[in-house]
Formats: sequence, structure tokens, C-alpha cells
Amino acid sequence: MAARSQHPNRRKIAMERIETLFAEAERVHAEHPAWSDRYVERALAIAMRTRVRIPRALRRRYCRRCHAYLVFGKNARVRIHGGKVVVTCLACGYQRRYRVVKPDNGE
Amino acid sequence: MITPQNVIRHELIGLSVRVADSSNPRQIGIEGTIVDETRNMLVIMTREGQKRIQKRYATFDLRLPDDTRVRVDGSILVMQPEKRTGMRIRKLR
Repeated sequence: MAARSQHPNRRKIAMERIETLFAEAERVHAEHPAWSDRYVERALAIAMRTRVRIPRALRRRYCRRCHAYLVFGKNARVRIHGGKVVVTCLACGYQRRYRVVKPDNGE
Repeated sequence: MITPQNVIRHELIGLSVRVADSSNPRQIGIEGTIVDETRNMLVIMTREGQKRIQKRYATFDLRLPDDTRVRVDGSILVMQPEKRTGMRIRKLR
């Protein structure tokens, strides 16, 4: 780790890049959903390489299994079931359950 | 913030570009938005469709979100996009 030359701002820049990629994914999704999925992959690659955590709000906008960018109501179904929020990816069918907690407003 | 100092380490997808110079004269002047990036290529969405430009042999004029313009030699961008963050002690300009 230490041997590789690292830029001091790399994590900050990485976070900005992740945010712009998700913003672009959102912007472009209506016309080119495939690009959005590609941008998610890019963002994940950056996050992994720089070991930056993707913010929770963004983490819930892509599918854990197929990495599709999710637009609720379009390619993702959101339902309340048994006190949990169930998000179904309509591309691969993967269901992700989120608990509902009071102080937690991550959606 | 994306600045002229950190463009080469920042995200290029979404920026407007113009190909300022290229070893292929037909590519000079191509204008549009960057929609994808690979190790060696930039994919630019123009009015006439997508154009894939090799980074190595071209120079790009990038327009940043705050409307400043930067000229970047494509050969220093030749690297996987996720690797660009973090690396490198700055080269010229």
C-alpha cells in the first residue's frame, strides 16, 4: 500500500466522481438505461479501488445482484411488506429488504 | 469540485468536449458530451451519433461544469478511468 504513490485528495475526488456518476446515471436513464448501468459499474470500480464507501442513499439506487441502476416505479418495485420495505429489481428479480427505523431516513 | 488542476483525476463522463487536435484530421473538431470512457477511448455523443476517439493520439478541449475550459493532452489520460483517481505526480501544465 505505502509503496504506491497516492494523491492526498484521492478519496475526496473519488467521492465526487461517484456522485457525478450517479447523477449522470439518473439524468440519462430515461433515454439510455444501459448507460446508467454502465455508470454504476464505473462508480463501483472507483469505490473499490479507492476504498470509499458509497453513501447509503446511492447504495440503494442500484441492484446488489445485477448492478442495474434502479429507478423506483420504472425498473424497480417498492412495496411495504411485513414492516419491511421490499425493493424488487425488475431486471433480475432480486429482492432487497430494508427495515424501517425511525431515525433512519435513508428511504 | 472539478478544477483544471484535478481534471485528469476526475470523472470525465458528462463533460462537453471538443477534439482540438488529433493525428486523424477527420476527428478534429468533433464536439459533444462524453458518455463513456475506456482505457484507451473516449466515447463522445455528437449530433451525428457516437464517436469513439482514441485518447492517445488526440488533444481535448474540455468544458467543466463551471464553464472553464481546459486543454488536455489525451496521452496522459491513457489509463483505466478508475485508476486515474489517486495516481500520478502532475506532469506539465
